[in-house]
Amino acid sequence: MTMDFEMGADADGLRRQLRDLVKEHVPDDFLGAFTDDPTDLAVVQRFCRVLADHELLCLAWPEEFGGRGGSVWEQTVVREEMWAHHEPRGAQYMGVNWVGPIIMRHGTQQQRQQHLPPIARGEVIWCQGFSEPEAGSDLASLRTTARPDGDGWRITGQKIWTSYATMAQWCFLLARTSRQEKKQQGLTVFLVPMDDPAIQVRPIRTMLGPHHLNEVFIDELRVTHADVLGTVDHGWSIVQDVMSFERVGIARYARCERLLAAAPTALGDRWQSLPDELRSRWVRMITHCRRARLMAYRVVALQATGQVQPRDAAAYRIAVTRLDQDSAEVLTDLAAEVTDDSTYTRWFKAEVADHWRYSQASTVSSGSIEMQRILLSRALLAAG
Amino acid sequence: MILDVDEQAAEFGRQALRAFEAAGGDALVQQAEAKPDTRAELVDSVLRELGAWDLNARDDTDELEAAATLCRSAGYWALPYPVAEILSRPGDLDVSGLSVVADVNPAAPVAGIEGPWATVTIAGIRSAVIGHGPAAPGFVAPLELSAVDDRGAADVALALVLPCWTLLGMLDRAMELTVAHVTMRKQFGVPLSSFQGVQFQLTDAEVERSGLDILAKHALWSVGAGRPDAANDALALRMSAIEAADVVFRVCHQLHGAVGFCDETTLSWLSRYSQPLRRLPLGLSATKAELTRRMS
Repeated sequence: MTMDFEMGADADGLRRQLRDLVKEHVPDDFLGAFTDDPTDLAVVQRFCRVLADHELLCLAWPEEFGGRGGSVWEQTVVREEMWAHHEPRGAQYMGVNWVGPIIMRHGTQQQRQQHLPPIARGEVIWCQGFSEPEAGSDLASLRTTARPDGDGWRITGQKIWTSYATMAQWCFLLARTSRQEKKQQGLTVFLVPMDDPAIQVRPIRTMLGPHHLNEVFIDELRVTHADVLGTVDHGWSIVQDVMSFERVGIARYARCERLLAAAPTALGDRWQSLPDELRSRWVRMITHCRRARLMAYRVVALQATGQVQPRDAAAYRIAVTRLDQDSAEVLTDLAAEVTDDSTYTRWFKAEVADHWRYSQASTVSSGSIEMQRILLSRALLAAG
Repeated sequence: MILDVDEQAAEFGRQALRAFEAAGGDALVQQAEAKPDTRAELVDSVLRELGAWDLNARDDTDELEAAATLCRSAGYWALPYPVAEILSRPGDLDVSGLSVVADVNPAAPVAGIEGPWATVTIAGIRSAVIGHGPAAPGFVAPLELSAVDDRGAADVALALVLPCWTLLGMLDRAMELTVAHVTMRKQFGVPLSSFQGVQFQLTDAEVERSGLDILAKHALWSVGAGRPDAANDALALRMSAIEAADVVFRVCHQLHGAVGFCDETTLSWLSRYSQPLRRLPLGLSATKAELTRRMS
């Protein structure tokens, strides 16, 4: 079979359906759920239920867990359209993308029954309790500890950079349960409720949005054996699974493409009188968007056949996070050239300003670019 | 979606790689540079045995993919022959090959190779090559042209894309050589590859090479599918190919150190013979300007 870069009619139809739903249910000036405006959070709560009603929220999930077993390309379309429109699923994307699938894979029947239906209905927000003040990229060095306590455990420690912790009902928490020869051993995943008084959350105001990042303090949190996900002391393999679900990660290129495509309209007649060099940078970024998108598709295709290698995923992550920042610079320069004041140009400028702020974290969050470089160089040298 | 060339085309590329190695491998370009008049006979028989000249890249997508993998393998060995140009020949002109040329100073790496040759500009003006100037490095010859017609717009995309596959093969090889070098070469008692500064340079180069790989496949598909945007896709590929080559060769030279400039090192040959592919028909700025003009 010769090459074919078309996604096909089903994917195109899904894309149109998602765009129509966004247009109908998400305000034009929506910039994500993590602003000071509480109506933004209400938008995502409502939109998740709309997606669930249309059987689109958990499209990728197997049918036995309430999904519709969507193809990898349908999943890709969802990822692209949601990110292009400021992720109107809000924090719930995490539950759908990896918390649910990980519970399907490692959870008990009781955990599946308890946690999967609320995620599938778009009614619950999860946060990820991984990073700590002394354990960022070196996650296995974490210090949060779970001590045996009767028929359960008592957990004490501190998490940081925890996205969505103020709004989350549940936390996917990684803690140390024993000291062993390797620091990756002796870690355990707990599924814990965030409304327990032993958990305190302190927001960290950042340029990414005032309600995005948080510190989480855990003081003698009492949990039972039923709250353990998988096997005690073997949580690291679950962490690896989480990482593999996040390999393709956020479709950052989709928002870059949408904003770059909007630039000529926002600039109107000014477009042709822009400095040649600025338009040339714009063209270069459009090509880099295509490159990142195609690299993502390559990872998706390889994942679908179980052939994906760390080098493919790492190369993509490096390319797309750099694209995020490079395109933000070009877009900011383009926005500065806008002279008309209209609904459209105000939208464009606000989007670009938000994109620039958010892009600054893209080479840090979800696995820093340095970690991706280490992964890629290891793979290169091992293959050589 | 199918994002990689068909297995038959991939196997054809692997066969070509082995055949070029058996025919002399790295020595081919060195022999051709020493005796430019012999370069056709150095490679003609191996290309004929492979069936290279029977490939119909313009009308058959299977053969188009085979042509692309052949170009990549040719690039890997810096094969001193205009394979991509020959495979790009248009069906409606009785010529041996086709080169895309700039509006000024038309030139192509066809010095000493029997024609007849044709050229096409980005705008689609086709000409016959009626004379060559003296050969420059990389077997590049300035061309004397006689206008044929202005119906070459459809010829441009393929003739831009196939040389990018040749350049991609050069980047494949440059990376392989550099990984091998930093693994073997020791400084301060340890392999160069143990230094993170070296590792991170390698990854920067690999991201460029890997990105070019998938863009080259996309542009090839675009040409084969006859998409209206095929010429723009080809120009976008060319822009990315030049940028990728800049990064990859800079990193590979840096990590090779002084030995990378020596004639005993393959990188030195690859690097200098990548120059025509990176400069002709248009360099980076002119390629970007043309793409910008079209997309704006």
